[in-house]
Amino acid sequence: MINANLKSSYAADERVLDNRYKQGFVYGSILLLALFTLFGSDYAILIGSQMGILLIAVVGINVLTGYTGLVSLGHGAFVAIGAYAVTIFNNVATGIIPAGIMPFLSLPFAVFLAAAVGVLVGLPSLRVKGLYLAVATLAANFIVIFLIEEELFAPWTGGMVGLTTNAPNFFGWVLDTKREMFGLIAVLGVLALLAAQNLMRTRVGRAFIAIRDRDYSAEILGISLLRYKLTSFAISAAYCGLAGALFAYFYARILPEQFELALSLQLVAALIVGGLGRTMGPVFGVIVIVLVPELIKITFGAVTGDAAGMAQLRAPLQEIAFGALLVLFLLKEPLGINQIVDRILRAANRWPFARG
Amino acid sequence: MQFAINGLMSGAIYALIAVGIVSVYKATKVVNFAHGYLIMFGAYFYFTFAVIVPNQPWAPEWLASWNPEWMVEMREGLPMFSPMGAILDWAANVPRILLGLAGALVCNAIVGRIIERVLMRPLMGQSVFAMIMVTVGLISIMSGSAQLIWTADAANVPYIAPNTPIRFELFGSMIFLFGTDLVNMIIALVLFAAIVAFVRFTKGGIAIRATAEDQSTAYSMGISVPKVFSRAWVLASTTGAIAGAILATRNGISPSLGLFGFSVLAIVLMGGLDSYVGVFIAAMTVGVLEAMTQWKMGGNWAEIVPYVAVLVVLIWRPHGLLGQKEVERI
Repeated sequence: MINANLKSSYAADERVLDNRYKQGFVYGSILLLALFTLFGSDYAILIGSQMGILLIAVVGINVLTGYTGLVSLGHGAFVAIGAYAVTIFNNVATGIIPAGIMPFLSLPFAVFLAAAVGVLVGLPSLRVKGLYLAVATLAANFIVIFLIEEELFAPWTGGMVGLTTNAPNFFGWVLDTKREMFGLIAVLGVLALLAAQNLMRTRVGRAFIAIRDRDYSAEILGISLLRYKLTSFAISAAYCGLAGALFAYFYARILPEQFELALSLQLVAALIVGGLGRTMGPVFGVIVIVLVPELIKITFGAVTGDAAGMAQLRAPLQEIAFGALLVLFLLKEPLGINQIVDRILRAANRWPFARG
Repeated sequence: MQFAINGLMSGAIYALIAVGIVSVYKATKVVNFAHGYLIMFGAYFYFTFAVIVPNQPWAPEWLASWNPEWMVEMREGLPMFSPMGAILDWAANVPRILLGLAGALVCNAIVGRIIERVLMRPLMGQSVFAMIMVTVGLISIMSGSAQLIWTADAANVPYIAPNTPIRFELFGSMIFLFGTDLVNMIIALVLFAAIVAFVRFTKGGIAIRATAEDQSTAYSMGISVPKVFSRAWVLASTTGAIAGAILATRNGISPSLGLFGFSVLAIVLMGGLDSYVGVFIAAMTVGVLEAMTQWKMGGNWAEIVPYVAVLVVLIWRPHGLLGQKEVERI
């Protein structure tokens, strides 16, 4: 079935979902997500929530690395800032602000704080790029985590032992079960994806892509590198801050070590496995990055029968699998799963004629 | 003064580790994020050959503890904790130290070779981003397999040199050192100098520099570029093995050794990726700064000194202290 997208007006060409397939896909997925929220098993909901939280952060990295071409290995720090900001705001403001409207203030606070720190961390990006920027963001990640752990701020951040978090309360509706939380995460996740897709058809998004393709050329075309690189950092940090806030709401406790380098690497790995600079890339990547360790856990449990001595081999195996995935995709399919899916869809579209 | 000397000592070790990253970068334009984990492998290999192998039942007895007649005689009548006693204790360990170092060198060279062959060579000519991310993937592969092979237990390893305390006076203040630290520093400095000389004067070194300058021209001049690549990796992993052995005696072995590599990476960028001299200066500066911070503000703050330093230097000089500025064409 070969077909084209006929558009008879500019408005139709400018839409976020510019053809029927995309519309069908998005509405279908929203329906499926709603059904999943209602009927999914508890275990599936737990995994789904992990994916959703990670997804929002990876969408943020995609804006920075995939679209603007700035490599960051320090986005775990922004997730940490989001998680801590929402919890600390809640602890400080309890009693001043009624509990029912707290999330409407604390969530934006976390997002804006993360974005502000993002601008600060992004400052070196004006002077350095590529590898130097990767190390600069890595350094920023270490420094942020260090400050969180530091004794000086322990009255607010809890230091090494972390903080107990609270469930969000929307006008008296407390989301204290995992299933309710998944609903919130799913709604925000879909919105985040659509917002990212929308961003790329605006002036700002086109400027990002121009900077990625060649930053000096973009500057000659009149794009202010200062403004757009910092905007990109702010947007991606804001996404990560939102992910962090949801992380804090979802889990009962946050610890500084959850946001260390391992998280930053996981985010970048998910993006690469899924596909850089594509809207659906983060979705595929997050699914793989979360599911593969779970599958290893399940098969490992089935093979060894949960013997105590073997259980300690599981974590290293998961770690190796994670690294192997990243290396394998870079060597064999640098454009990620999105490329594979594209190929399959293209072949289906042209069937029964030439594949390719 | 004491802190400055301590700082110079850790600076020397930083320099030794950094030389591995710089060599690989110079030859292949890849920055090895996993170098810290290569060092960790070196430390674990040293541990394997210096502690586990000599303690096996099939190993000859002199390997675990070398005690010839004359040594027993010398030991008689020595007071406790005398410098001579420390040297003799060390002498008993000499065979296993040598075995450990040799084993670590050989095994790490093999590991470096495998990494180069399997992961780096297929990526030749691809974007720098892909190569860097491969080394990032390597981080989790290596840390995972280290945990699989050796489990996560940290263990004691024999010192490389006699661990006698040394006291002397310098500029009116008393300095107190351990012999093994001093020897470690000398080893690190000598190796650093040797590698710089190797790259500057020998034929292989010139090939490395030519490849760094321009790969395709180097090819056309008859230099085997893949060979240069693998040589650079082997060089990096062997220096990493020695650095790993030294670090193992200083701080003990644990999977966290790998994290050490990141602070060294920060130092390398601070000095300039392609400049041995710059990296040396940066390593010494950070070593001293760390010791000073530890003295003034407590041990915790010393952890982030390299990272703060690299951020400051990068904003001031984007290519590091003595790094060459890249010329970009549109």
